[in-house]
Amino acid sequence: MLSRAAERVYWAGRYLERAENTARIVQQHSQLLLDLPEEAGVGWYELIRIFGAEDAFDDDHNEQATHDFLLADTNNGTSLNFCIKMARDNIRNSRDLLPQESWENANELYQTVRKRLAQPMPGESRFEFLSDCIGRCQQINGILIGTMSHHNAYHFLTLGQRLERADMTSRIIDVAATYLQQNERLVLRYGSTLWTNVLKSVSGFQMYRQFCQPEVEGLMAIDFLLNDEAFPRAVRACMEEAKHTVAALPRNANLVRELDRVENSLPSPLPDELDGARVSKLMDSLQQQLANVHTAVVKTWFLPANTA
Amino acid sequence: MQFGSKTYRADGFYDELIKADGTARPHAEKLVDYFSAMRPEQLLERQDAVDSTIVDMGISFTIYSQGDNIDRAWPLDIIPRAMPGSEWDRVESGLKQRLAALNLFIDDLYNDRRILKDKIVPAELIDSSRNYLAPCRGAKPRHGVWAHICGSDLVRDGDGTIYVLEDNLRVPSGVSYMLENRNVIKRVFPSIFRNHRVRPVSEYPSALSRMLQSIAPAEVRGKPEIVVLTPGVFNSAYFEHSYLARTMGVELVEGSDLMVDSDDCVYMRTIDGLKRVDTVYRRIDDTFIDPEAFRPDSMLGVPGMMRAWRAGNVALANAPGSGVADDKVIYSYVPEIIKYYMDEDAIIPNVPTWRCSDPKQLDHVLKNIADLVVKPANESGGYGMLVGPHATRAEHDKFRELLKADPRNYIAQPTLSLSTAPTLCDDTLEPRHLDLRPFILQGDTISVTAGGLTRVAMVKGSLVVNSSQGGGSKDTWIVEDAD
Repeated sequence: MLSRAAERVYWAGRYLERAENTARIVQQHSQLLLDLPEEAGVGWYELIRIFGAEDAFDDDHNEQATHDFLLADTNNGTSLNFCIKMARDNIRNSRDLLPQESWENANELYQTVRKRLAQPMPGESRFEFLSDCIGRCQQINGILIGTMSHHNAYHFLTLGQRLERADMTSRIIDVAATYLQQNERLVLRYGSTLWTNVLKSVSGFQMYRQFCQPEVEGLMAIDFLLNDEAFPRAVRACMEEAKHTVAALPRNANLVRELDRVENSLPSPLPDELDGARVSKLMDSLQQQLANVHTAVVKTWFLPANTA
Repeated sequence: MQFGSKTYRADGFYDELIKADGTARPHAEKLVDYFSAMRPEQLLERQDAVDSTIVDMGISFTIYSQGDNIDRAWPLDIIPRAMPGSEWDRVESGLKQRLAALNLFIDDLYNDRRILKDKIVPAELIDSSRNYLAPCRGAKPRHGVWAHICGSDLVRDGDGTIYVLEDNLRVPSGVSYMLENRNVIKRVFPSIFRNHRVRPVSEYPSALSRMLQSIAPAEVRGKPEIVVLTPGVFNSAYFEHSYLARTMGVELVEGSDLMVDSDDCVYMRTIDGLKRVDTVYRRIDDTFIDPEAFRPDSMLGVPGMMRAWRAGNVALANAPGSGVADDKVIYSYVPEIIKYYMDEDAIIPNVPTWRCSDPKQLDHVLKNIADLVVKPANESGGYGMLVGPHATRAEHDKFRELLKADPRNYIAQPTLSLSTAPTLCDDTLEPRHLDLRPFILQGDTISVTAGGLTRVAMVKGSLVVNSSQGGGSKDTWIVEDAD
């Protein structure tokens, strides 16, 4: 398989995942703000922080500007619009490798989103719009899972998705950690609402309740999102799946090592006295390690420099 | 000849299927019978079937329009264009003769330059040609062959004579449409093939693959690694690049997929690591092949590719520099070139051509410009040319100035009355002008497609057949003669 072809499906996987997660996070955040009083100090700007876009976003921190930036702005490399365009372009250029229906659906998603975001979207329509995006992303995923042979192209697609997914989960935990740091009174009073929102951002609320405990509590939620081996959006589960995928690819020793390193760095069990600042630091280093995994993917398969 | 309720008339041109007296030519009798038995609504219904088959099969071409790339469904007329096998046999030997001579010529130009020393072709013509590439001097591609894939455009004049209009030796395109046209017509009209013995065209991808293997560096053990090099998805012929790679079962690569290592060998980047490449069927222009040797701004090519080629570590098809022989001024010397190297007369004649570089001939062209077709030496796709009889006085004057300013760069030819064939226009069959592009392959042997790509000018009276300018196409049949 050509390196460039592998790279394209890898990015198709990453952007498809990023688009779905972006839609999910923005949607959940809107819901959260409805539950919190203004003095809680959680606003739209937290969204910008989740995406690490503080430097790129210098606009007013109001609702409209934030949404324009995160959903519509084609210059913003993390906006929904941009992710969907990149997912669609990479799928388009991989048409020889991917099921025809995945291309048709990705193209339809792209056309729909482009049209909807070309005009201002009233807050009332946003929930329905984002639900539609999430649904269509899941549909494309369903086509890929349901109709694609498990050969190299599928492996690279899956690998991209798992790495992106782990990265997104770590970002969401990071923001929750800043809530923890901010205001002790807030945590006591609205803690459960906050953590419910965090879990819902990764569609993890239901699974958490079923398999951890009925009441939502900060450390347990973090532990679930980091260490659970059965919940597909938990970081550890993503790493396990990534390792499984990598095992099917050639020249994978370096990658197995990098993925193991990520897994071993996940603190398990979590220390009792974990505070916001420490969680935040932990997530920074987790994101750095995930970036190292990506670099190893690029070096091993996309830019091979010497003869095999 | 009746088609439905209407009588088909060839309007004084040579028609490929119908004689002047209105009856079918012998090789086309059954074909004409078949279509003349159809009612207009049946013809339209079949054309719809052809169109939707083309959409379903994803046969498209790309045109550039105001910065946008638009994928258009490939236009194919339902009525095949047929030629008798015996006539084709002669054309085929003519095409082989021509390409063999052109390759001897190119090899000579970059090595001994005998033909220039013997003053058959003026040396200044070669040295002033922008397609004569200095970095190719002294190169020795295998079998002495430079132009491995040639698409020569053939036209038939009013008296039935077939001429070579031009040779495309750089990156000729269209062969995938020849193959797909046949596939579509076989799907939509399975029954007509039962009454005819039509020579198959489907072996082209295997012939191409065999040829590309035969030119791989001699020391390669086992099956050579072949790739098709494309400028990318935005190129107008990308459909064909991807089609040929797929049908040959080889990788379709872009410049960034390849690299030349310090051993002067070409490698492609794969997930298994670097993999040695032996033959590159490149579909990018000469000067984009290698930014080190030609255009430093080329993003399409591979730095070091020319080094690897000169060292004999990789074969390039066509070899860089081959374009020197498809200059339209050089074209006018091809009969002499055939005589010089092969000691034979050209089997297929050239269209008579005036060279504007010769003052006497230029004078003739300036005086008679209204009756002539004027072409720039180096353009393709029908761009930058003047069709005298169809142009305005102002355009004649404009071209007179262009010719005087740069005579070396122009030739002129008489306006041919191109042959026609019945073509479905609205709901009736009308004569439309056409040409034919066969594809000739040369490696260790020479082969020619049975027929080629027939292109049709869909506008009444028009001679412009290029698909980028509204042309259509036909399936081309070489029909075995009756025993």
